[in-house]
Amino acid sequence: MRHHTVLETWLRGLAIAVIVLFFMFPIFWIVLMSFQTNETILRSPPSMAFVPTISNYEAIFAGRLDSNVASMDIKFLGNLGNSIILSVGSVAVALLLGVPAAYAFARHKFRGSEDIAFTLLSFRFAPPLLVLLPLTTYFQALGIADTYFGLIWVYQLICLPLILWIVRGYFEDIPADIEHAYRTAGHGWFATFRKIALPLAMPGIAAAGLLAFIFAWNNFIFALVLASADKQPVTVGALAFVTASGIQYGQIAAAVVLSIAPTLMLALYAQRYLVEGLSLGAVKG
Amino acid sequence: MNGLAIEGLSKTFKDQIVLDEVSFDVDKGETLVLFGPSGAGKTVLLRCIAGAVDQDSGTIWIDGHNVTATPPEARGVGMAFQNFALFPHMNAFENIASPLRARKSEPTKLEESVRAIARLLKIDHVLAHAPRELSNGQKQRTALARALAAEPGLLLLDDPLRNVDAKLRFEMRLELPRLLAGREATVIYVTQDYKEAMALGNRIAVLEEGRIAQIGTAEDIYLSPSNIAIAKLFGDPVINLLDVVPDCDERGAFFDLSDQRIALDFLPEKAVGVPCTLGIRPEDFTITKADVPNALPVNIEAETPLNEKTVTLAVTPLGQELLASRPAGTAIHGQDSAGYVFNSRKILFFDSKSGLRMDNSHSNEKRSE
Amino acid sequence: MNWGENYVNFLSDPDFWNTLQVSLVYAGLTVVLELLLGLGMALLLVRRTRLNNFISVMLLMPLMTAPALAALMFKLMTNPNFGILSYFMQVLGFENFRWGSDPSTALLTVLMVDIWVYTPFMMILLLAGLRSLPTQPFEAAALDGVPRWQQFWRITLPMLMPYVLTASLFRLLDSIQQFDIIYALTQGGPGDTLMVFQVEAYLNFFQSTNIGRSTALLIILWAITFVLSNLFIKNWLRLRERARGEI
Repeated sequence: MRHHTVLETWLRGLAIAVIVLFFMFPIFWIVLMSFQTNETILRSPPSMAFVPTISNYEAIFAGRLDSNVASMDIKFLGNLGNSIILSVGSVAVALLLGVPAAYAFARHKFRGSEDIAFTLLSFRFAPPLLVLLPLTTYFQALGIADTYFGLIWVYQLICLPLILWIVRGYFEDIPADIEHAYRTAGHGWFATFRKIALPLAMPGIAAAGLLAFIFAWNNFIFALVLASADKQPVTVGALAFVTASGIQYGQIAAAVVLSIAPTLMLALYAQRYLVEGLSLGAVKG
Repeated sequence: MNGLAIEGLSKTFKDQIVLDEVSFDVDKGETLVLFGPSGAGKTVLLRCIAGAVDQDSGTIWIDGHNVTATPPEARGVGMAFQNFALFPHMNAFENIASPLRARKSEPTKLEESVRAIARLLKIDHVLAHAPRELSNGQKQRTALARALAAEPGLLLLDDPLRNVDAKLRFEMRLELPRLLAGREATVIYVTQDYKEAMALGNRIAVLEEGRIAQIGTAEDIYLSPSNIAIAKLFGDPVINLLDVVPDCDERGAFFDLSDQRIALDFLPEKAVGVPCTLGIRPEDFTITKADVPNALPVNIEAETPLNEKTVTLAVTPLGQELLASRPAGTAIHGQDSAGYVFNSRKILFFDSKSGLRMDNSHSNEKRSE
Repeated sequence: MNWGENYVNFLSDPDFWNTLQVSLVYAGLTVVLELLLGLGMALLLVRRTRLNNFISVMLLMPLMTAPALAALMFKLMTNPNFGILSYFMQVLGFENFRWGSDPSTALLTVLMVDIWVYTPFMMILLLAGLRSLPTQPFEAAALDGVPRWQQFWRITLPMLMPYVLTASLFRLLDSIQQFDIIYALTQGGPGDTLMVFQVEAYLNFFQSTNIGRSTALLIILWAITFVLSNLFIKNWLRLRERARGEI
């Protein structure tokens, strides 16, 4: 048992309070901002006392902002849609390709299988622009520039290694005898994969999928380099929004809140698996 | 027709030879026990037969069909695993039903078969439970039920009693032969426990470092083990080993033990003047007074009961420890200094260098094809 | 055009040396500061109380925020007209503290965002590491009367070292390639204060259409990350094997 002096307990409490303040305050502040009008935002000194308004969110969802000065189009809803299509599409493709591949790497060690797995992992660590810049030319030539398909393909650089390495660990944790038992009972290898391996690795697959979704959603550089204006996700769109809307700070804040809310929610939901996923299985949560 | 035939089966894992040209036949309906120390290759051999591990070379026949290239699901075997390998996401019923579902058994018949085998194994009251809710004994019975459910022609049991406690193991040792008897299935039973091996098998195949060192009935192996290692594996307490150089002169065969001449009624020709290891079972020693002719002079150190026997530990003047056993409740003369007499016809002669037995005079090959 | 030319030119190119220096300083400072802060936080939260668990889950939120959006949030917070951080500086007596738009404070500003986003990563890895340490050495040390501050240096830190190494290498690999935060906040400016590899390569490619120079910069960055990732993978594999062995 540890024994703490009163002073020590107080100091620890203070340190934790300062840390929580530093890490939580920006999110708290941006949420507050999103419920204010420009007038209350620009008040000096800043004050917490204001009448909350949902006009910023209304403007984003209506796609139009009408003020007494001017009216303008807000295309941010399109960015949200793009983020959803790109992230869901990327995770779906990554699961479709990555889960069977992870199973193969976990169960069938063949000559060079480790090398292939490591090569896939090394994509995670190479400078993304080194891959992206040449692709700008090839995508034009292939006719997949400005398509969701092309972007989802490139997003595999982040999603696939993640899924492959996390899910592989979960497959390796299933005792091989359980699969042997199912096969000797008379079931083929595909039935064994579907009825034994998949259900037993499901928690890991779900966790890897959620993490891949979060990384795809948060990605900035891929879409910045390759996506045309109408295919941009929220990360790129929010930045463009700042340039376009100039001083509509309330709407910018609302856009940021809408952009970070999905990943924050998912993270809270999946926090149990985050540690293992973030460290690619090196640390058990 | 053979229920199972193995020919020249070899398997190497990372430069380590696990199975080395293993060949044997098992009659249909026969129970063969695969016995040997851990790491001898028993489990790998079983997995090769089941198709869970691919052998490097060799051929496997099941019921006269060459199944070497047949995938595991088409070999028609039932297997019980040492660690049970129950499907954790299915209840006991579905576990047992899985081989029947693979064979597209009709629903009412399936239900009937599962309940029948469950009743036989006394687990019909836990069929709705998930594996994690079962006791170790129930898990083991579920695994057995699953292996038996589809009434396979070949049953592979991989040390099924290893992970259950002593009481359950004893119960199952009594129950299993009855369970297997009515099935006409060929059974391969893997174990590390020599008592289990002797109780369950028609024949025992002893595996040593990936090779079949000896194959025969329990009696064959106990009475004429083909080498020292096998002699040591069978028998409790373990066989006594004495290193001597027996010789023969005008007065007959003998060996010297600390200046004392011990006469032998029998000595294999090959053993004359050669360093030998004598194997003497503890029950073949009789304890007498020290001055009896041809008795090994010993000092009795300790006595301890073992099952229904009393085991005596004695030490020769040269410091060799010798165990003798006799039925519990019989008295001996009670002196520290005593003599061990033995029937020299029952001595096993091993070549000290190779460890192989030197004669076959005791072997009584009952099995001949 | 000679292929080697881009690389030979670098030797006499002050911009290249600036890029290399800024990238290394940025990566070095973020990793060291985040490691110290993350370790401190992990030590504070190591006991599994409900409050601690709740706090550590809350602290994951910055890590789940897109770095580019985090940069945008801080851009709003450091806005000279209404930014709350600018206001704090004014209260503290720093008039006209211009954060990212001032060359002397630009690095500080991006460091703050990087620390905000990535310190939780260090924390959760080290927290998991701390919680997986065996308890016997600590019990033995307590019996031997080793003072608590010495326990940290003599037992905790040495046993935690594999986790510290893996987490730091992982962060170093990411940090030397940082793009999102710097680009979204200052686009490498003001001037070339924050011209790290990927930002410089991006601007070279799209603004000056100097494709050769851009590619050469990325190849050099790749060489650096190649060495680092080999080191990382070696450590990571050892740790992964241990983690899987503990199941």
